[in-house]
Amino acid sequence: MNTVGSDSTDGGVPTDAPVAVELDGVSKRYGETAAVDDVSLRVREGEFFTLVGPSGCGKTTTLRLIAGFEEPTTGTIRFSGESVAGVPPEDRDVGVVFQNYALFPHMSVGENVAYGLNFADPPGGVTRDERVAELLELVDLPDAADRDPESLSGGQQQRVAMARALAPGPDLLLLDEPMSALDAQLRERLRVQVRRIQSELGITTVYVTHDQEEALAISDRVAVMRDGAPEQVAPPRTVYREPATRFVAEFVGDNNVFAGRVVDAAESGAAGGNADGDGTPRTVGVDVGGETLRVEAGGATAPAVGDRLVFCVRPEALRIDGGESRLRATVASAEFLGETTRVTLDWGGRDLLVRTRDPLSGEVVVGFDPADAHVIDDRRGVTNDDL
Amino acid sequence: MSDGPHGPHGRGGRGRIRRSLRDRLEGRLLTLLAVATSAALVVAFYYPVGTVLVEAVRVDGAVTLGVFAEILRDPFYFGELARLFAGESPIAVARDLASPDRRLGIVGFTAYQAALSTAASVALGLPAAYLLARFEFPGRRTLRSLTIVPFVLPSIMVAVGFVATFGRNGTLNAVLGALGLPPVDLLFTLEAIVIAHAFYNAPLVARVTTAAWESVDARAVETARSLGAGPLRAFYDVVAPQLYPAVLTGAALTFVFTFGTFPIVLALGGFQLATIEVFIYRLVRDLSYAEAAALAIIELVISLGVLLAYLRYEARNTVRSRGARPLPRKPLFPAASTARQILPRVGLAAYFVVAGVIFLAPIASMILASVTGADGALTLEHYRFLLDRQQTGAAFQVRPWPAIRNSLLFATGATLFALPMGVVVAVLTTRRYRGRKLVDAAAMAPLAVSGIVVGLGLLRGLVFGIEVAGWRVTVAGSVAIVLAHAIAGYPFVVRTVAPGLEGLDRSLIESARALGASRARVIRDVELPLVWPAVVAGAAFAFAISIGEFTATVVLATSADAYTMPVAIERFIGRRLGPATAMGVVLLVVTGLSFVVIERLGGEHRGL
Repeated sequence: MNTVGSDSTDGGVPTDAPVAVELDGVSKRYGETAAVDDVSLRVREGEFFTLVGPSGCGKTTTLRLIAGFEEPTTGTIRFSGESVAGVPPEDRDVGVVFQNYALFPHMSVGENVAYGLNFADPPGGVTRDERVAELLELVDLPDAADRDPESLSGGQQQRVAMARALAPGPDLLLLDEPMSALDAQLRERLRVQVRRIQSELGITTVYVTHDQEEALAISDRVAVMRDGAPEQVAPPRTVYREPATRFVAEFVGDNNVFAGRVVDAAESGAAGGNADGDGTPRTVGVDVGGETLRVEAGGATAPAVGDRLVFCVRPEALRIDGGESRLRATVASAEFLGETTRVTLDWGGRDLLVRTRDPLSGEVVVGFDPADAHVIDDRRGVTNDDL
Repeated sequence: MSDGPHGPHGRGGRGRIRRSLRDRLEGRLLTLLAVATSAALVVAFYYPVGTVLVEAVRVDGAVTLGVFAEILRDPFYFGELARLFAGESPIAVARDLASPDRRLGIVGFTAYQAALSTAASVALGLPAAYLLARFEFPGRRTLRSLTIVPFVLPSIMVAVGFVATFGRNGTLNAVLGALGLPPVDLLFTLEAIVIAHAFYNAPLVARVTTAAWESVDARAVETARSLGAGPLRAFYDVVAPQLYPAVLTGAALTFVFTFGTFPIVLALGGFQLATIEVFIYRLVRDLSYAEAAALAIIELVISLGVLLAYLRYEARNTVRSRGARPLPRKPLFPAASTARQILPRVGLAAYFVVAGVIFLAPIASMILASVTGADGALTLEHYRFLLDRQQTGAAFQVRPWPAIRNSLLFATGATLFALPMGVVVAVLTTRRYRGRKLVDAAAMAPLAVSGIVVGLGLLRGLVFGIEVAGWRVTVAGSVAIVLAHAIAGYPFVVRTVAPGLEGLDRSLIESARALGASRARVIRDVELPLVWPAVVAGAAFAFAISIGEFTATVVLATSADAYTMPVAIERFIGRRLGPATAMGVVLLVVTGLSFVVIERLGGEHRGL
């Protein structure tokens, strides 16, 4: 799965770290439909691993399978190499935080945090009360122990839920959209805090979100899911720069996806074999709707004339009156975002997204460097009909 | 992962290998309770009912449907329809059915009075729903809570109240006489039965309709209005379609309840206006068990048919609206006085008078009659009679104190049985798994089966004794009564507790489990504390059902010392109204006090 440019430093956790959680061909079917479809994943110890995707992609079901709230229809889940099939959630040593925090309304904040200590001794040889104080300190709510959960703000409740999940010292922290009920600003502040706590404790974490920006910001590695299975599992930078599929390209951030036919492979030095091997970038000409665009094709297989090719160019890589591969388009609409303006261009009936600092209008020429185009060489999600 | 470098954050010590014996037992607790509940249901319900039903198809050891065929062809039971079963032409039967001097038979009459009672209940219930759902006034919440009260009032007591109100010397005739109007005698007429049934079931119709009305989203009405619909049109197009299913729910339940009615008809109609249930009772007294059983099966089939038809309808028409903003309530006493403001309120005022007569008069009349002598003067002679009877009564006579003691004892026992059973079934039926509906139906069956059949089954089975592996097992009549009451009461515990459990956020339960709590532990620590008011209400329900239960008790209370307050009232009512009303007041007071006690106990245990 993790094939596209995963470097061992970008992920934050060494690639040879022991595997904490492994999903091996896991499927979960409800009647005819497969919520999770033959998923194989490995989460390393101490890693912050995020499942991201649109609603209905199976990310929450995957999390619930790991937690033990659901049992897989087929496949095996292993914790540290040991199958957890049939192990109920209470015996899995996991901490779970839900979107709605699920604090027990009939218990005080302190009682909530202490609840898991009914079933496990506080780690580190401290007393229950000390452990509760320790955790509330950790989430910056040192004086909240006697308060009623419902008297707290959403963000505070979320932190109490974190403290409660962490109190018994779980091996694995599972977070199911823990911030999606909060407003945007609070969400950004809180995710920094969540990440800080995770790093401090070094606890293996699986995080579920539909917010791709959040996923990129917080994770060591991201699995972008669609229709019950991950399309790409890689560190955030890789997912952003080198999306494995058209779906990933369009789901993660703004993107311009082009599809066309290779008309000119002259510079590829076909006889020279793999260009990556000798370090010379290889570009091909692709006919996209009557225009030929030059694209750097760094994939494992060399595209030949007549091949169909899909590639994408980020809006920030499209430059006004610049770049080697140029297109003539008309400004259709613009959204002022503060730092930049997102402009939608009409190019022969298709939309192109551009980011600029200066206002644009009328007809413009935009272009990109062949190196800024990323060829999507995974066939998944792309049929010939799309081309 | 257990040896991972988590620093201060090491493994906590729960873990799948190190589970203590106690944990294991706790994990199995739910299963154990479920097994115990199933066993109790089998012993106290399915087996007894089964033995009764078997009698209907076994005559002299041979299996036969002869008993059914006889009943079906007997005009005494099925009226003109019996001729249809006997093979006569449907056209001739239809013509005779349309003629004024048709014969309905007992089954026909039962259905007829149930239909009339249903119509009356809906007619009386809907204005109450309108009032409760659409108007704001002081005491609205209290009134809404009070609508549950008629349902738990002992039916025999209500019957006494109706006799005291509508009888020849009742308060109604006293009022009519004071106004110079001729007296009426409603006793032993269909009208009295229908009104008494409305007393019980109109509040039910009102409750379900009010709930539906309150869940109508104001935004839907506002959208209709903004699209050009007037207020009436918006009501017909948006509100009414959401009310029909609720009204039908109330109507279907009313029909089923009144179809199987017993104490009301026995007390207010006598044998001359017998329903199926009353006649089954008579057959049992005459020891015609096979015919009684066959008749009970026919009654059950009709009741279940109506319920099933209704459930199918409900499954198709239930709309769940969550988080709806309810329609704003109007003040009952408006500032402006336009015709449109005044008219509905005048209608409600008239309704208040009718409702007052039907709901308050019986209780008030009963209390009044209990302190009124034959000469009309205030007196305590009826209560004195009870005391005298207690001191000097012969062994075969019904004495008040044993009745009170038995009622409290049986009700306490029945509640202690019904509460855990109800909670376990509520937990089982709110979890998601295959076959849940089947479990639900099997657990709720006692609601649909006549108390007479349960009582008869327990009597002829456990009380008279059964052979189990060579041992003769017999159970005292009083124990059988406790079992019958528990079986009658626990569905109400389920029905009060289950919605609360169903409404609980699943992530609360899952959070607790992820923190290390077993399934049973989660029920104790999280679910029950959060639905505790419903558990207390369920206990009150079970207690009230037991204390008011008459049908199974009268069958089982064969020994002289097992009678309860309702049975005592029924014995008294046959001779003189005064002592019966006095006993009714005692029942009312004891029931009321019990509720206070249950409420207090529940409060102390809150949070477990």
